[in-house]
Amino acid sequence: MGSSVLLFAAEAEEAANPILPTLNEMFYGAIAFGLLFVLVKFVLLPPVQATREARASQIRGDLDAAERARSQAGSAATEVDDQLAGVKAEAAAVVDAARAEAEAERATIIGAAEAEAASIRSAAEAEIETARAEAMSGATASVAELAADAASRVMNRPIDLASAQPVVDRYLSNPN
Amino acid sequence: MFTLFAAEAGEGGGGLVFPSIGNLVEWAPYFGEGTIFEFNKIGLISMLAMLIPTVMFLLAKKDMVPAGLQNIVESTVEFVEDQVVMSAIGAEGKKYLPLLLTIFMFVFWGNIFEVIPTFQMPANARMANPVILALVAWATFIGVGIKAQGFGGFMKSSLFPPGVPKALYILVTPIEFLSTFLLRPFGLAVRLFANMLAGHILLVTFGVLCIALWQASPLVIVLPFSFATLVGLTGFEVMVSLIQAFVFSLLTAVYISLSLHPHH
Repeated sequence: MGSSVLLFAAEAEEAANPILPTLNEMFYGAIAFGLLFVLVKFVLLPPVQATREARASQIRGDLDAAERARSQAGSAATEVDDQLAGVKAEAAAVVDAARAEAEAERATIIGAAEAEAASIRSAAEAEIETARAEAMSGATASVAELAADAASRVMNRPIDLASAQPVVDRYLSNPN
Repeated sequence: MFTLFAAEAGEGGGGLVFPSIGNLVEWAPYFGEGTIFEFNKIGLISMLAMLIPTVMFLLAKKDMVPAGLQNIVESTVEFVEDQVVMSAIGAEGKKYLPLLLTIFMFVFWGNIFEVIPTFQMPANARMANPVILALVAWATFIGVGIKAQGFGGFMKSSLFPPGVPKALYILVTPIEFLSTFLLRPFGLAVRLFANMLAGHILLVTFGVLCIALWQASPLVIVLPFSFATLVGLTGFEVMVSLIQAFVFSLLTAVYISLSLHPHH
């Protein structure tokens, strides 16, 4: 086994304190840092910040637009609901009016029918009354004639029908 | 210049020798040796930590619906804004977003090179960048405090916390001074540096161990376990890179918030 080991290292010319800073390294460090700071402040950072700000602004705008759209959609929905409610109320009113009209029509028809029925009933009653009166009148005459005939047979002499008629009428009107 | 070298385990053989700490964190210069312009791997990673996020931001599209790279870029900005700025400071802290985002990205990209092959070194495992970042944080929260409360008000709120008996200020005020003006930046720098250095040493340790075991024999029974640990630690370092970036930027935001609202 070899006794030596390959190592990476620099050839230091002298044994300076490796911890203390050296002027040349500080010089280049200061130049590099100063340059980077100036570039960042005036050249590199502003466009990045502008892009980020533009993006944030666009996102804010999009969010606002979305919020407005949502609000408008809500308003439209409310409007539609209102319109629907109006239409429903209107339809209910139409239905109510139609129902009232139908009810009135029904009452009218029923009234007319009842009146017609009453008229028909009255006419029928009058006709019945007339028929009854005619029948009564015919029956009275027949009864008077029969009674006069029966009395003439019993009495064996002729009975004047005209003189018997008042008796028959009085009897028929008050049979008791 | 970078080289592979054989770490001799003693002339007589036997044993495993790890590289020294200097070999782990010090890098040979690419150019400008010996001057303040000396450019080495740490400088290169620092520049890449600046260039990579820059290119990512520039290439990212600016569409309304993000995808791909734009998602990553915007998620990074959003993460720092929500989890750092808003959680530590609030809405009034948004003006500090560029600074905190820069700190977050610079620390993260400086760290993540720990696990990128051929680099395998976090820039923040050297003290230079953490010191720079801590100084920036330090100057920022002091500046914000003075601007928000005035110099006198900031010093008073920082050094003389309300509700403390006056006699105790002799003891409390020096402690508050040390805590606010020295330990805060020191803590920021050392926390980042120490975490990344520790992670770097851990990965090197297990890397060296795997190489040594492989050289001894690919059939060594513990080799798979060492390699699995190395893979797991590599994933762990990715997480540490992100967490350290988050912690550094969050603490900076907290210090700024304390300067803005001293009594909260």
